Amino acid sequence: MSRIPGLKRLVRIERDGAGIDRAVDDELQFHFDMTMRDLLANGMSADDARREAQRRFGDVTATRERLATIDRSLVGRERRAAWWGAFTQDFRYAVRGLRLKPGFAVAVILTLGLGIGANATMFGIVDRLLFRPPTFLAAPALASRIYLVRDNAGKPFTSDYTGYQRYADLRQWTSSFELMTPFYINTKPFGTGEATKDLKVGISGADLWKMFDIHPVAGRFFTAEEDTPPMGQRVVVLSYGLWQTEFGGRRDVIGAKIDLGPDKYTVIGVAPTGFNGLGTTPVAAFIPTSAASSQANGGRKQTWYTTYNMNWFPIFAQRKPSVSVQTASADLSAAYQRSYAAQIAINPQTTPIATAHPRAYAGPVLRDRGPDESNSAKVATWLVGVAGIVLLIACANVANLLLARALKRRREIAVRIALGVSRSRLLMQLVTESLILAALGGITGLAIAQWGGTIMRRALLSDTDLPSALSDGRVLLFCFGLTVITGLLTGLAPAVHAAREDVASALKAGAREGTVQRSRLRAGLLIGQAALSVVLLVGAGLFVRSLVNVQHVRLGFDADRILSVDLSDRGVKLDSAQQVSLHQRLLERAQSLPGVEHATRNLTVPFWSDYEWELHVAGIDSVSKLGNFDLQAGTPDFFATMGTRIIRGRGIRAEDRAGAPRVMVVSEAMAKKIWPNDDPIGKCVRMGADTNPCISVVGVAEDVRRGKLSEVDLHYYLSIAQFQPTDGGLFIRTTGPADAQQERIRRALQRVMPGVSYVTVTPMSTIIGGETKSWRLGAIMFTIFGGLALLLAAIGLYSVVAYTVVQRTHEMGVRVALGAQSRDVISLILREGLKVVIPGVALGAIVALFAGKWIAPLLFDVSPKDTSVLVTVVVTLIAVAVAASWVPALRASRVDPNEALRAD
Amino acid sequence: MAAADLDLLQGTLDLLILKTLTWGPRHGYAVASWIRETTDQRLQIEEGALYTALHRMEKRAWLESEWGLSENNRKAKYYQLTAAGRKQLRAKTALWAEYAGAVFKVLETC
Repeated sequence: MSRIPGLKRLVRIERDGAGIDRAVDDELQFHFDMTMRDLLANGMSADDARREAQRRFGDVTATRERLATIDRSLVGRERRAAWWGAFTQDFRYAVRGLRLKPGFAVAVILTLGLGIGANATMFGIVDRLLFRPPTFLAAPALASRIYLVRDNAGKPFTSDYTGYQRYADLRQWTSSFELMTPFYINTKPFGTGEATKDLKVGISGADLWKMFDIHPVAGRFFTAEEDTPPMGQRVVVLSYGLWQTEFGGRRDVIGAKIDLGPDKYTVIGVAPTGFNGLGTTPVAAFIPTSAASSQANGGRKQTWYTTYNMNWFPIFAQRKPSVSVQTASADLSAAYQRSYAAQIAINPQTTPIATAHPRAYAGPVLRDRGPDESNSAKVATWLVGVAGIVLLIACANVANLLLARALKRRREIAVRIALGVSRSRLLMQLVTESLILAALGGITGLAIAQWGGTIMRRALLSDTDLPSALSDGRVLLFCFGLTVITGLLTGLAPAVHAAREDVASALKAGAREGTVQRSRLRAGLLIGQAALSVVLLVGAGLFVRSLVNVQHVRLGFDADRILSVDLSDRGVKLDSAQQVSLHQRLLERAQSLPGVEHATRNLTVPFWSDYEWELHVAGIDSVSKLGNFDLQAGTPDFFATMGTRIIRGRGIRAEDRAGAPRVMVVSEAMAKKIWPNDDPIGKCVRMGADTNPCISVVGVAEDVRRGKLSEVDLHYYLSIAQFQPTDGGLFIRTTGPADAQQERIRRALQRVMPGVSYVTVTPMSTIIGGETKSWRLGAIMFTIFGGLALLLAAIGLYSVVAYTVVQRTHEMGVRVALGAQSRDVISLILREGLKVVIPGVALGAIVALFAGKWIAPLLFDVSPKDTSVLVTVVVTLIAVAVAASWVPALRASRVDPNEALRAD
Repeated sequence: MAAADLDLLQGTLDLLILKTLTWGPRHGYAVASWIRETTDQRLQIEEGALYTALHRMEKRAWLESEWGLSENNRKAKYYQLTAAGRKQLRAKTALWAEYAGAVFKVLETC
């Protein structure tokens, strides 16, 4: 506009509403004045001129309004354009600045990337375990899992597992729910022969499908009629994944029959992709409860659907929209009490209502939010906090780096202020810079989360259906929010610092004057970093020690060398003689295989199953009051196979056959419990009733842990030939690590199995792996996060000390000139570093000691106040601090006094 | 005036204003007077419509405006062509010539 010749700029175009109206009025006023002037000059009378001007113009009011409207939209657009212009300018300026310092930019981006990535990874996991309702759930707010509570020895005992009759009662006697269904996941064999594999099958009622907003991809879902006891219909809805991998997505699969478990099922439909029912694990197929349970035996005089004694599934329900959770829970409690009364009518020995106080409530769908929260979920929750701390440290670091940069750019910024750049604009520039850094950090973080999620999924949470970070909208959103917060958080401190800058003094000061600037904010950030690092590393140390303890705990058997063999008859009916002969053939086959050291039959598998029997011992009123005694049975090689040591007496021998005097081997703990002051060898134990024949104790075996890693069990062993169970499997001891032999042995044994029956072979270490998962998760993640925190703290300390050294070059020069030795200079700088680290470490140690009690329940055999861990961490941190300050200290000691003093 | 003619008139008015401004920045009154004088008052243009056209073309960035001092030392809003405005003028002139030529062709065949 300034190009208009001879034009003096008077006023800017008005920017606000009133200003726009005024400008339009001014313009039109000018027009009328000019028209009047010319018409009057032509000799027209004032009245005529006014009329003529009006006529020429037309409707003044309407035009005025129209002009103002046009101008308003013009001004709005200009304002947006100006903002965008300023933003792109800031953006370009920031990018240019960062490209001049690529090292700085990369350090910041990586720091933030690690922080954001750690958080996104943990968020993805915890979101899946604790927050996200199952995919496609139609009314997540109305859906609940039903928890049943009763008092056991005065203490409330909560469980979400129940049986069919209870489910039928609750369904019938409540009115608060629209939908109710069992839902559980069972492993069932699929296919036949050597190609047989295990599938996770979801088992539910027909209401399951109504709880979700889904339609079958092909065919239909099953109906309530197809889920009616005693048999239901053997129909199956395939998951999308199974349909694709096993049936190539063909539509003619509808109506086909597939082998699932002991039965043949008719395919009636395909569920949409990503549908897993109400669990958090991937499900391959869905079948009705009645069809799945039809083989179950309800016990004496009862069927699976009338007994109250079997509990095998949780119930899920959807409330009517008008019913509150409280009302629904009261309704459930009333129904449960009625059902409990019905149970007492059938089983008079059930604990009476007055002592059991049965009650129920509608609780969270996700089990890990309920009272049965798994250790893994607890550890994961902790790790979210830990990831948050890592991000805090990362932010502190970046704020520190930006602050250092802002101090370095003090003069530049002062010059810009002096040249009239407004402070708000300057603030915007600095925040833009940190937002760009945060955005790049966020992208890096997503990449790390994608990678970290894959690792977590594969190594630690293989049974959880964890979405990948990049395909998960919630994780993306979380990442975005985190990025913005990080950008503002890191940008704000240096920006405020810069905006407070006193222009005159900054301009007057030479570079060396900056030495006086020793920011308290920066020291505070460093102390905080050091403290947080200590806390995380102590956590890491405690989990690592727990894991080591868990792994080294003597289980009472050699898990690494043992394979567990499980038999599934899948409808192949064998009488007990055939059963025994099959087991015998399998055992002989196993013993003949190369790579097999020993093999034995078994009755139960540690951590998977247990077996109890009523015991009677002379002189003891009730053995069962002393505790739960677990029964195992084996063939002569049992103890050799397991590696369980016989402490006294002998193990099971070949002569302990059917008809021979019956023998028993007891665990040390059991021996101490029953005969605290006596030699157990030769003692008589009767099973079932005190009139039954004596079983004599012939040996004492070392203790085993088979229910919980933290407890030894009361355990005893029988000769399987004298016990003759119809079920059970094999244990095989391999010459090398068991998992390498698994498949070969499975194929060899499968050939012995008649018809469609089959064997499953599982390494014992896999079974135990599930038990150690939470400690492994804790140890690995705490170590990663703790290491990350330490690295970030070290970088932070290094950058601050290095910066101080540069700032104090002049001072060092003076010191050296006055005769300071390089040793003195080094120790001076080291002391500078330690001055902030030691208070930080002390603070961290106090916090760690205080916070320890919260994680104590998650540890294994380690006190949260473990001194060796604390000392190691403190020493490590101080060593790292010294190392981080050493490089800049060395540089300071090499200052050439001539140069340092001449500069400026 | 029939609705069908409005488009024509609108386009024509824009064209006249753009042409007027090729001689340099002017305020609204000057544009109005110049058109009236040049056409010997044969084109009756409502000045309200003229101002609306000026503001609308400013919004389309064919024109720029700035407040300045008029010849008699009064504050006035001056408009001047932008590069986009010049381009519009060229395009509209060509279009108009084509249109007029076509109309003439029809009239002459009778």
